Amino acid sequence: MAWDCEDCVRRLDQMVDKELTDTDVKLIELHFEQCGDCIKRYDFQQGLKRLIKVSCEGERAPDSLRARLREILQR
Amino acid sequence: MPFADEAITHLDALYRGAMRLTRDPEKAQDLVQDTYARALRYQHSFQAGTNMKAWLFAIMRNLFWDRFQKNRQEDVSLDEIGEFGLFDRMRDEVSGEGPEAAVLDKIARNEVVEAIEKLSPLHREIVMLVDVEGFAYRQAAEILQVPIGTVMSRLHRARQQLQKDLYDYAVDSGIVPTIGRPN
Repeated sequence: MAWDCEDCVRRLDQMVDKELTDTDVKLIELHFEQCGDCIKRYDFQQGLKRLIKVSCEGERAPDSLRARLREILQR
Repeated sequence: MPFADEAITHLDALYRGAMRLTRDPEKAQDLVQDTYARALRYQHSFQAGTNMKAWLFAIMRNLFWDRFQKNRQEDVSLDEIGEFGLFDRMRDEVSGEGPEAAVLDKIARNEVVEAIEKLSPLHREIVMLVDVEGFAYRQAAEILQVPIGTVMSRLHRARQQLQKDLYDYAVDSGIVPTIGRPN
């Protein structure tokens, strides 16, 4: 049976996390073909996930910590 | 690759994870240092060929919960915030072009980090593992020693809360113009 918006919204997390089965991905894409709102919801969730990642991943460990750890690890 | 050489390649990831958990640079450094010390001590229990990053994160989060969060909080009930979708909220309240993903480009990165740091520890942790470090649900479940369903519900709640905070920020800072905002 074809999915409606509710089916789709319920699986948005899994969709953006690439955790859906291939069958479910096909069903969600089938729904996207007829529903602009759900495409936008998906784009938005995906954008949010990306924003979270880029906002955090620039951080680097301080050099002093790196030096200390090299010492610990080489003992 | 020798154990120590491989372990050190995960330092930046562990440090930013520790920053999200502890929200304090000194505590984060201590946590990371203790994580490596413990990893070294238990390196015989690491199975070569398995995911060392996941193994290190598991050590770190266990240390974190032992040390900083003696009273492990239960997940915050969704009832408190209700189902909140930033997209739908903006569609209903925002004037103009609507809630396209482009709105996200206007949100400053430090605001996102701040919003993450306002989350409860369990929610910060799941966002850090899945969204920032890209662990699969199954890996996150193994690191946290919980069922996959728990990973999914925690993640969903964390994202709901995050969206609510970012929405409030977007409105307060004028990033999105609203049409009559209900209280």
